[in-house]
Amino acid sequence: MVEMKPFKIISKVNGSTVELGVNPGRRLIDILREDLGLTGTKEGCGEGECGACTVLINGRPVNACLVLAPEMNGKEIITIEGLTPEDELHPIQEAFLEAGAVQCGFCTPGMILTAKALLDKNSDPDEKAVKTAISGNLCRCTGYVKIVAAIRLAAAKLAAREGSI
Amino acid sequence: MLPSFNYYQPASLQEALTLLASLPRPKKLLAGGTDLVPALRRGELYPANVVSISGLSEMKEIKMERGLILIGALAAFSDLVCPPCFEGAHRLVAEAAGQIGGPQIRNQGTIGGNIVNASPAGDMLPPLVALGARVRLCREAGERAVFLSDFLGDAGGACIAPEEILVEVSFPALPVNAAGSFVKLGRRNSLAISRISAATVIIYDSYGRIEEARLALGSVGPKPVRVPSAEALLKGQKPAPDLLEEVVASVGEAVGVLLGSRSSASYKKAAVRGVARQVLQKADPRFMNSGEING
Ligand code: FES
Ligand code: FES
Repeated sequence: MVEMKPFKIISKVNGSTVELGVNPGRRLIDILREDLGLTGTKEGCGEGECGACTVLINGRPVNACLVLAPEMNGKEIITIEGLTPEDELHPIQEAFLEAGAVQCGFCTPGMILTAKALLDKNSDPDEKAVKTAISGNLCRCTGYVKIVAAIRLAAAKLAAREGSI
Repeated sequence: MLPSFNYYQPASLQEALTLLASLPRPKKLLAGGTDLVPALRRGELYPANVVSISGLSEMKEIKMERGLILIGALAAFSDLVCPPCFEGAHRLVAEAAGQIGGPQIRNQGTIGGNIVNASPAGDMLPPLVALGARVRLCREAGERAVFLSDFLGDAGGACIAPEEILVEVSFPALPVNAAGSFVKLGRRNSLAISRISAATVIIYDSYGRIEEARLALGSVGPKPVRVPSAEALLKGQKPAPDLLEEVVASVGEAVGVLLGSRSSASYKKAAVRGVARQVLQKADPRFMNSGEING
């Protein structure tokens, strides 16, 4: 057995600088959940199939279960906790509630972050664009119809908010 | 927790090559991690040393230079979906990249990893083989360039030394009068084993006849195969529906010979005919019967 040396990382997680020595044999999802207490990121399959562990790295959705912890170094990471200041709901979260797109909620953090990355690029996605964007996020409960509706509702909410500023 | 290993994050390609040359085996290169991390977790790999090259931005570039399209090995699949150099006849590259995994996997996985891991279902391989791609490999003491089709081993896997890094994939840009397309059966990652794909590149002469056709099939063997008999039938001809039927029949025969009596052979033979028909019709609508709509 090789003795693993901790690897020093500096990254930004939800806007704050994080400096840690991480064991290279851990994954980003382990650091987020166990060391940083960010348990909004869920682990489903642990194999890159379900998207429950989706976080944004430098603005792009990725599966945190497929990222080795030391790979966080120099990256900017957003988890569901970092979407808005504490106690506030992001318009995408509001839309998910209003559209009834949350049942057990296990897929929801990943879905919402995927939706955020989509809406940052495309402020008015059609149904096909939404379905393509969430094709890496599995949901066992909702049947997806309400999730797609929620993301389109979120787009409308964000547009209205833009318009009112 | 994964097995124990030492982890290195070199700041340049040179540093990475020096490290790879000096570190003892077993050692593994980490790029996107979409294949490596699950393999570590399943205990299929137990490297003593892992060298991460994911931060080497010089290996992410995609550019066109002196008639060649050059793709850095660390370009993510999602980086391959949009660039203008993958429009027109080259769109088969973007089409293949856009159908890999889900969006998260496309953001993480790299073209270099897809090539080096050489999975029979490595979706980037058939288009790159059809385009006549080469790969450039560096080691501390020098570099070499080989055709992708030679780089991929006949028994599966890629011919790469543990000290080498695949740094770039390139192929000659197609002339203006050319077409290309990619088609794949099956949708999700988990269906990877039975997924059959086909890529074609067609170059025309000034009369609209086929000067050269290349057809590469994925998932019918350990590596993508070209189908010379079908390519020969196309050469010198004008695309038309009855020509297509002849070509499709010869693809079925060629694949039958390749697969022999394997249990999946009859399914694959039928599936491959369908995929070949679709990929050619998609590349050139003249292969379609009038009124036929390509779904
Ligand atoms: S837990 Fe990461 S993709 Fe399922
Ligand atoms: S709400 Fe239960 S998995 Fe999606």
